[in-house]
Amino acid sequence: MEFKELFNLARVPSILLLGAVYVAYVLIGGVIFWQLEGPLGKRDFIHMIKQRDSLLHKYTCLNPESLYEVATVRHNCDTRNALTLEVDKLENKIQQFALLRQVIQDASKAGLTLQNNHTTDGFWKFTSSAVFAATVVTTIGYGNISPQSTGGQIFCVFFALFGIPLNIVVLNRVGKYMLAFERNISDFLESKKIGKKIWMRFFVHLISYLTGMVLFFVVPMLVFQTQEGWTYSEALYYCFISLSTIGFGDFVAYSNPDIYYPDWYSILTACWIFFGLAWLAQVINHSIDIVERLNNYLKNKIFRGKKTEEETASGAGDNPETQVEEEDDRPSEHK
Amino acid sequence: MRSAGRSWVLLAGFIVFYIIYLLFGGLVFSTIERPEEERLRHELASLKEDFLNRSCSSAAALDLLLLRVLQAHRSGVSVLQNTSQPSNWDLTSSMFYANTLVTTVGYGHSTPLSDLGKAFSIVYALLGVPFTMLVLTACVQKLLFPLVVGPVGLLHRYGLEPRAACALHLLLLLLLLVLCFFVAPAALFSWLEGTWSFLDGIYFCFISLCTIGLGDYVPALQPGQKNKPLYQVSVMVYLFLGLMVMFLLLRAVHKMADVHGLTRLLQLPRCEEASPEDDHHPIREPGDKSPTQPLQPASQTTYNTINKG
Repeated sequence: MEFKELFNLARVPSILLLGAVYVAYVLIGGVIFWQLEGPLGKRDFIHMIKQRDSLLHKYTCLNPESLYEVATVRHNCDTRNALTLEVDKLENKIQQFALLRQVIQDASKAGLTLQNNHTTDGFWKFTSSAVFAATVVTTIGYGNISPQSTGGQIFCVFFALFGIPLNIVVLNRVGKYMLAFERNISDFLESKKIGKKIWMRFFVHLISYLTGMVLFFVVPMLVFQTQEGWTYSEALYYCFISLSTIGFGDFVAYSNPDIYYPDWYSILTACWIFFGLAWLAQVINHSIDIVERLNNYLKNKIFRGKKTEEETASGAGDNPETQVEEEDDRPSEHK
Repeated sequence: MRSAGRSWVLLAGFIVFYIIYLLFGGLVFSTIERPEEERLRHELASLKEDFLNRSCSSAAALDLLLLRVLQAHRSGVSVLQNTSQPSNWDLTSSMFYANTLVTTVGYGHSTPLSDLGKAFSIVYALLGVPFTMLVLTACVQKLLFPLVVGPVGLLHRYGLEPRAACALHLLLLLLLLVLCFFVAPAALFSWLEGTWSFLDGIYFCFISLCTIGLGDYVPALQPGQKNKPLYQVSVMVYLFLGLMVMFLLLRAVHKMADVHGLTRLLQLPRCEEASPEDDHHPIREPGDKSPTQPLQPASQTTYNTINKG
């Protein structure tokens, strides 16, 4: 088999074009989200920092005011009775709690951690906006950041309306390409007459499945464990929740403001999510196909002899979607 | 009639099994996660008491407290209320969580706190997600004839050519979908939730039904929510029906793209469908497999609609 046919080079340009359109769509979405949400996010952030500082200021240990309060309490201890003192303490607590509550609400709204002093863009930098756009379009939807402004929400709806079908189309194409590649390899091995067709197919499927598992679960698990500082189980949990598009958002890669990420990290994560999604969808479709074939096989066994040959010959057990475009291949050969 | 009846029974069986699966998931998550939640609540309460008992606070102590509180907040445990709040992991809330897991919506308003919970979530989703897709596909398959193929055929018989019939039908279906599954629920949610505006409701409906599930708006979480279990169950039913209708819409769009030649242009798989005559010929030979299962391999919506067919 020729190298060109093995890698299906004829259809690579169209996939690249589609991929370019997809990437451009996500990046443009990222820019627009950044512009819509950035100012609001910054404002929330500044507000929260102010609140936090006011809480500290009121109750800081080195503050002259609180020193005065402590001194007053000590002085009043002699002249007041214990009950009034308790009431004072309680009032103090209530005020402190109210301020604390305000700070917590603002912080959770702004969606931030507080270790560093972020004086720059805050959360809605361009990179995180692009990440957000990508999570919307792949329907993962972490939610660790989400649009707060009305304009942002409306734009999010329309962005998803066109982005999700685009995502489906692109992943479909990439998945088919991966499947075609696998089939070409199994055909190639079959032509070498190493063994029976069915065992060759099974063997190739097994190898590709294991490769996929390693590439899309084990390797990312190791990378996340080192880069993000998660445990192995947390990293694996994150991999699964992301690739299945469930996307809780309790763990999100590339979103910890306290870690310095290398330059290749964001690109690697994006590629992993993209190809991982395509691969997982293929795996599940393939499993459903296998279950169906098994079902047909069992049925044929039960209704032994009745039209079994006709049915298997017509390829009724083959799912046309997981079947590589045998119809599509023919017209492209004639071009 | 017999085989058509059988397929209905099979579908009913699927749905019952789906409900049982959700119940089972809810029970297991509730048993695993509730103690964890209690423990976290106690820890936060003592942290808070500790902090407030001092008459002054340092920046480091405040930051530490805020870090812990925000982490817990993200997992759904809040210290903001003075009164004790209902658990996030009682039976209906756990079922709701299992439902968001299995439909891949994944709000994230409550997430498993323990390692065991996380591991069980993975296994549960591995089995549950394909099963849910299967059930939804089966239901869509049943609805396909009365809602898509039938009306289009009807319009066709009234003299409209296939392209126009498809387009008109799609428009009507879209209008119906938007009214029943976006406008009406959004109004209901904004009334029930109080703090949500109508636009927030529409935003929530859209984000949920596309299975994006950001989690910035989640129903039934307001403090002091009346009839919380009933509310949560109805939201689950709404999600199921809504997803079903979204799949249906996707099939209708695919059919229209097919009719207009778009699928061939983009080199996508064509729309395979049961012809209207299939449902009217219930009597089949014993070796024939098609009407007994609700799933036709040729017209199956596959995982996550990524491989559309």
